[in-house]
Amino acid sequence: MPRSLWSGSLSFGLVNVPVVMVTAVRDIDLHFRQLHEKDGAPIEVQRFCSEEDVEVPWDEITRAYELQDGGQVIVTDAELEAIEPRRTRTIEIESFVSLDEVDPIYYDHPYYLLPAGSDDGSARAYRLLVEVMARTNRAALGRFVMRAKEYLAIVRAHDRALMLSTMLFADEIRPSNDIDAATQKSHKPSAQQLKAAVAVIEELSGDWEPNEWKDRYRRRLQDVVSRKRKGKTIKAPEPRDTTPEESPDLMAALERTLAELRN
Amino acid sequence: MGYELRGGEYVLLQKDEIGAAAGDRSHTIGLEQFVEAEQVDPVFYNRTYYLGAGEGGEDAYRLLLDALRRARRTGLGRWVFHNREYLAAVRAGDDVLVLHTMRFAGELVGVEKLDIRAPSRKPTGRELEMAEQLVDSLHKKFRPGAFKDTYRDRVADLIKRKANGEEIELPEYDEPEAPDDLMSALEASLAKSGKRRS
Repeated sequence: MPRSLWSGSLSFGLVNVPVVMVTAVRDIDLHFRQLHEKDGAPIEVQRFCSEEDVEVPWDEITRAYELQDGGQVIVTDAELEAIEPRRTRTIEIESFVSLDEVDPIYYDHPYYLLPAGSDDGSARAYRLLVEVMARTNRAALGRFVMRAKEYLAIVRAHDRALMLSTMLFADEIRPSNDIDAATQKSHKPSAQQLKAAVAVIEELSGDWEPNEWKDRYRRRLQDVVSRKRKGKTIKAPEPRDTTPEESPDLMAALERTLAELRN
Repeated sequence: MGYELRGGEYVLLQKDEIGAAAGDRSHTIGLEQFVEAEQVDPVFYNRTYYLGAGEGGEDAYRLLLDALRRARRTGLGRWVFHNREYLAAVRAGDDVLVLHTMRFAGELVGVEKLDIRAPSRKPTGRELEMAEQLVDSLHKKFRPGAFKDTYRDRVADLIKRKANGEEIELPEYDEPEAPDDLMSALEASLAKSGKRRS
């Protein structure tokens, strides 16, 4: 089981559900180590005291905020916690929203919330929250503080568990109005073009089957590592120039595509 | 760079050798399949980008945007970016094409890996009904702009106070406990929300 990253409680009216938070994603990327090219020795990072010229262990490290006049203010974890003692330990549900109203652009990192403690009360309150959200297709919104940062969070039912995603605040999303999205009238497709494009999309439509999409990049990278291990040379493939030509005649391209798909 | 095998042994790789795994670098996102937009659980979406129309491609861009919206579909395909191939979803946002890099199913932790304690008995129908009323009473339209990150300002304020030599008081905080009596906690919550249907 993944380790707990945060613990506290999820509160919903006067109902408190003690929970721990664990990650919902695993890092299965291949990681490389930096080596000294000359002798192949791994590069190490050490924390040194600039005054004493000795390595500093983690438990002797504190943090400071640098002021404009060059001075600095030391800020401890406890002091940061004092800013928002409640939100450091509690995700208070402020409202429930319909899941389909939330644009996926707001979702950031996914976690699971699991019932904490050993009493039956928290397990039941947890189960009640999962069931009621699954049944109503609603998600809970609230805020909490983790690692000295406040997050907006959305909590929803996911397979008998509560899934929490941190969310972006609206002002963290870049406005899109300076992107050229061909909104001028002159680019508006004709009814016939739109109909043909929708037909192509429908021909190519299927169900979302996440397990059918494999990470081909990871597999190729594993292959590169194992070939190199066997002493083979790795050659980067020549970039193919498959940049599609612009299709001046959209309608003809659509018709050709449809004909190919239906054949 | 080195890839570590067991026991501190490394396979040495140059950057361009790692780059050899990138995939098709033809600057094309080939949409292979379309799915109903609401079928895709948001947990799969990773980073978000906007796509703008390329020069000369405005008509085709607009056609794709309008057709995706009309068909209520999201396109899926492979995209090579910074020497790495991604699974990408392309969908119609508010007047712009949005691209999300996607997580693969194998990157998600399955619920079966989690230790979710089962309660001794399931919530009763009455408890569910009360909880549903409570959810209804707290229901709101999703307005992302209503949430502001106020914490940042308060950290700045804390720093200012400390810089002025103020002592920061560390308040006591008792963690709330799970209710012994779920039913009465639900009733009390509903009474407090003042919207209980009689």
